[in-house]
Amino acid sequence: MHSNYVLKRLLQIIPTFLAVMLVVFLLVRLLPGDPASAILGDRATEEIVARTNRQLGLDRPLPVQFGLFVLNLLQGNLGESITLKIPVLRLIGERLPVTLFLTVYAAALGLLLAVPLAVLAAVRRNTWVDALIRGVFQVGLSLPVFYVALQLLTLLGARLGWFPIGGYGTSVPEHFYHLFLPALTLGLNLAAVLVRTLRNSVIEVITAEYVDFARAKGLRAGVIMTRHVLRNALIPTVTLLGLNIGALIGGAVITETVFAIPGVGRLMVDAIFGRDYPVIQGLTLTFAVLVSLVFLMTDLIHARLDPRTELS
Amino acid sequence: MKRLTRASLTLVAALTCSQALAVTRGGQLVYGRYADSLFLDPVLNDANLDIWILTNLYDTLLQPTNDGKGVQPGLASRFVVSKDGKAMTLTLRPGLKFADGSPLTAQDVKWSLDRARQPDAGAWSSSLASISSITASGTTVTLNLKTPDPTLPAALATFNAAIMPQKLFTAAPGKNDAEKAKAFAEKPIGSGPFVLSEWKRGSYMVLKRNPYYWKKGEDGKALPYLDSVRFEIIPDDNTRILKLQAGELQGAEFIPLSRVAELKANPRVNMTLFPSTKVNNILMNNRPTLKDGTVNPLSDVKVRQALNYATNKQALIQVVTYGTGKEMKSYMSSTTPLFDASQKGYPYDLAKAKALLAASKFKNGFDVTVLATSGSADDLALLTALQQMWSAVGVRLKIEQLDAATKTARYRANDFQMRTAAWTNDINDPSQITSYYALYSNIESVHTGFRSAEIDKLFAQSQQETSRVKRASQYRTIQSLYLNAAPIVYLYETPYPVALAKNVRGFVQIPLGNNIFAGASLEK
Repeated sequence: MHSNYVLKRLLQIIPTFLAVMLVVFLLVRLLPGDPASAILGDRATEEIVARTNRQLGLDRPLPVQFGLFVLNLLQGNLGESITLKIPVLRLIGERLPVTLFLTVYAAALGLLLAVPLAVLAAVRRNTWVDALIRGVFQVGLSLPVFYVALQLLTLLGARLGWFPIGGYGTSVPEHFYHLFLPALTLGLNLAAVLVRTLRNSVIEVITAEYVDFARAKGLRAGVIMTRHVLRNALIPTVTLLGLNIGALIGGAVITETVFAIPGVGRLMVDAIFGRDYPVIQGLTLTFAVLVSLVFLMTDLIHARLDPRTELS
Repeated sequence: MKRLTRASLTLVAALTCSQALAVTRGGQLVYGRYADSLFLDPVLNDANLDIWILTNLYDTLLQPTNDGKGVQPGLASRFVVSKDGKAMTLTLRPGLKFADGSPLTAQDVKWSLDRARQPDAGAWSSSLASISSITASGTTVTLNLKTPDPTLPAALATFNAAIMPQKLFTAAPGKNDAEKAKAFAEKPIGSGPFVLSEWKRGSYMVLKRNPYYWKKGEDGKALPYLDSVRFEIIPDDNTRILKLQAGELQGAEFIPLSRVAELKANPRVNMTLFPSTKVNNILMNNRPTLKDGTVNPLSDVKVRQALNYATNKQALIQVVTYGTGKEMKSYMSSTTPLFDASQKGYPYDLAKAKALLAASKFKNGFDVTVLATSGSADDLALLTALQQMWSAVGVRLKIEQLDAATKTARYRANDFQMRTAAWTNDINDPSQITSYYALYSNIESVHTGFRSAEIDKLFAQSQQETSRVKRASQYRTIQSLYLNAAPIVYLYETPYPVALAKNVRGFVQIPLGNNIFAGASLEK
């Protein structure tokens, strides 16, 4: 039943993509300015701009351009970056793992922070511990990401010298080391979102009758917490986490800029400023695929945690 | 007394000498850039991000001097211009090699220049347009010219005239020149001081020392001193500075002018302001009517002059450039060859501004809109200051913030009243900025719509004038005519702010912007 469901969901994604592609295709062309002017700079003559647009095939009618784009896409070809003159697929292949690494790292740090603290806050609800945890994350949530990023960089990077200031490194251990501060920045933000929901659900569960029953059976507190309480309390959190991972992928832009990380977030910004149509289109498609997959996975995990969920 | 002076002079000379001999070889210099290069072909592009790196990879026959005032020998050790000015003969240095060890021949020179001067080769082919044919034999290359061309030495010292290895380029995969250029630019081989060894786009680029480089250092051995230069891409200004302060970088470019004073006070940093050719100004639409058909007050020369007089440049230099700028007195920077030092510019004079406006059709003032680049703190600081200054003469300035591409699209369509602008020369000659700023036939004087028959005539003459004295006088007149017509609001010149670690020696960013690492070293 599950595999059928997954297949159906995957098939449903296709028309969504086509719609996304059409909208993005039209939107980028509605923006004032064109790629030729962006690459050639302010001082190119009209003839040179026109010649470049012709070479790029941008002088053709829009339906023809869109048709060619879809045709190329079906052959697995996303076109070539106008400014960098290399295939979009290669660009994304080089940059996407970086952003994914950062996103997963941030989500892991976020959960590592949120789960124990939310449980602690719930168990000690309405005490100063609870107030402190909730207060700190409330403040964290209201601080802009770039501000937190710069503060962490200045304190843990420049002043104490514990972490490198930006960059990505060249090996996996280096990636973990270099991406710690940016992942922490995003993780803190994520934890701030999760702590509140998780705390409330934990409270809801620990006051439920079946937990009283488990306690009466003489189960140890740790077992009750992991097997009964967390399993149930995590259900709304998973949904929230899924939604936020989608946002993390898209929101890596600021973190990637501040921490000088060569991910797709920065690539997207550069592409938009450079009116690099093929890169914008390719990245949008990639984001759409990723977000759809994350949502699908969220639903599956949700179903796993709560057998009452019907997948159809 | 006299003896003492002589003795101390000798001592200073001796110290300088021993210091020169003690230059350290080896090491890697890590340099923070604000953005990555795009495409490393010298002919098919026009972005500073590429140009400023290309000169480290490819060499040219002649080279710009570090002060920006002229040219010096490069791959060619000398050049001779014929009496009638219609031929230039260049002699190549003996034993030149590309970075892969293969010989650099006169044939490579001919091929490279022929490629660069084809009419559809990038935006730069016109700099070599006076060449009619090229002959190569032995170590001699002769350029035959259609007309005498005083700009040619500077053009031969510019990035697009880089000498490339014909055999390697034509052996690159691809059906045509554009495709081959793409393949070759991934792993370019030139004869510059460095060769590209690694490039992780958006992240870093490593240039290694070219062991076959021809130029000798102070110790008599081949340059460069450094083993390698690593460019780290760090778009955020604060992060670049933090990385430098933490010792992770030995150099960081584009330091915000607001932080120059702070870094100057830091004993571990050598905050350097390299003279540049950068001029900052406001371009005005000089046409009688705007795109929507309404009357344009800026078409009146008195109004344009009045705005110039109502602009307090010294105040702007303090507010926007934190004292690092210098008043602009000509449309070209004071570092541009043939800049006329006697130009008066527009000193701040509110009374004169008011008188000029009173004599115009716009006695009661008017509204004017300026296009600014969104996200640019400098633009906003500048324009809010101008709002106040100009309100004193009844001009109400409205600011419209746009992203760079939209701003370009708007002014290309002549759909603007004013826009913020900056310019940097790419060539050590005044002809480039003049052709853009003052010639209607090129791009309508950077789309201001300004035109002057007199300037057109003088410029055409100056492009063939071989006497430097006569050419200087033509340029003096052009600068004065332009100043009086005031198609732009003259603001200020700004330097290139580069923060270096204390142990970095010999790094230069020349006024054209090129980063010169050939003579840089890391002292122990």
